[in-house]
Amino acid sequence: MKKLRHLLEFALAWSGLKLIRVLPDLMITTITVLLADAYYGLARTRRQIAYRNVLESGIADNPAEASRIARHSFRHFGLVVIESLTSSRYLTEETWQDHVHLDLDAESERWIREDGRGVILASGHLGNWEIAAQVVSYLKPVSGITRVMNNPYVEQLVQRHKPRNRFTLTPKRDANSARFLEAIRDGKILAFMIDQFAHDRGMMIDFFGRPASTHTAIALLHLVSGTPLIFGYSRRIAPRQFEFKAFPPIRIERSGDKQRDLRSILDALTRYLEEAIRESPEQYLWAHRRWRVPAQSSRH
Amino acid sequence: MTRDEIISKLRDIMKESTEKPVDWSTVSGESTIESLGFDSLSILDLIYDIQQEFDAEFDAEQLVSIQTVGELAEFLSSQLA
Repeated sequence: MKKLRHLLEFALAWSGLKLIRVLPDLMITTITVLLADAYYGLARTRRQIAYRNVLESGIADNPAEASRIARHSFRHFGLVVIESLTSSRYLTEETWQDHVHLDLDAESERWIREDGRGVILASGHLGNWEIAAQVVSYLKPVSGITRVMNNPYVEQLVQRHKPRNRFTLTPKRDANSARFLEAIRDGKILAFMIDQFAHDRGMMIDFFGRPASTHTAIALLHLVSGTPLIFGYSRRIAPRQFEFKAFPPIRIERSGDKQRDLRSILDALTRYLEEAIRESPEQYLWAHRRWRVPAQSSRH
Repeated sequence: MTRDEIISKLRDIMKESTEKPVDWSTVSGESTIESLGFDSLSILDLIYDIQQEFDAEFDAEQLVSIQTVGELAEFLSSQLA
């Protein structure tokens, strides 16, 4: 039964990809927005999660505005998927600078451009994170972590269609400290998403005023390796036009107290993420259950 | 600090860091770090604790290929020399 469902999903995805290849951009965008609106209407639970998250974050000060942002967030996510599958049409080594405006802090830019220097790049599910990785990979090879889809056929199909340039992905199950340290040693950009629910292994960090279980590996890697840690993200500013912004590197006064230092780093990264989300709230993945309560928090 | 002294100190640090019940009297240079309850991510905690306890600044990237307590002790010995 499961295999049949996977094959049906594969057939749908395959047909979708064929359509994407032949249809003009405007039509693809229109269809994507219509499908996202339909999903927003049908997926009651996800819709309510997104709506509540927007409202409780203080991003919207009234229910109508919260609904608008939640609906646009669904559309945005649809566009993220389409852009990730079609960006090879216009983002190439020769042309990417026509489509991306770089807004980089001077020191962060120096670290990112310096040959052989490993950098840890933190980002969130804001804007188009796939485009962000592609863009920085034109400056320096990028190593990221990905969650493998449950459907192996669709996973293979999608991976074949995603442009990679100098952007390599490690499945989450194979991600480990040795690989992270290797990437740093090899002078790559090691990319992490900092807004994933970390279950009971995370540290509770306030995100828009509410505690959220946050992975600590990125902060520990920074502490033990001294590798520059930068928050950056890419947002859509027009069709086929993006801005990639990098904030100043994270700097904390080391206390020698591991928990305190980890918290300082994760707090600083989370404040950058909040600032970025406030700039483009419709481009954040609000349907994600970021504030789930872990069964047992290990690092409060 | 001799290799044995480093291993003894490492044992103390690991005892504090791991959640796995281990018979520490049997831990030797040949014991793998993984067998002592350090997984792919908690190993970063251990590296941090080692840097603090030994007051040693070294590139964590150099630890990529280290598998056993003995290899770790030798690495630290070279760093502290």
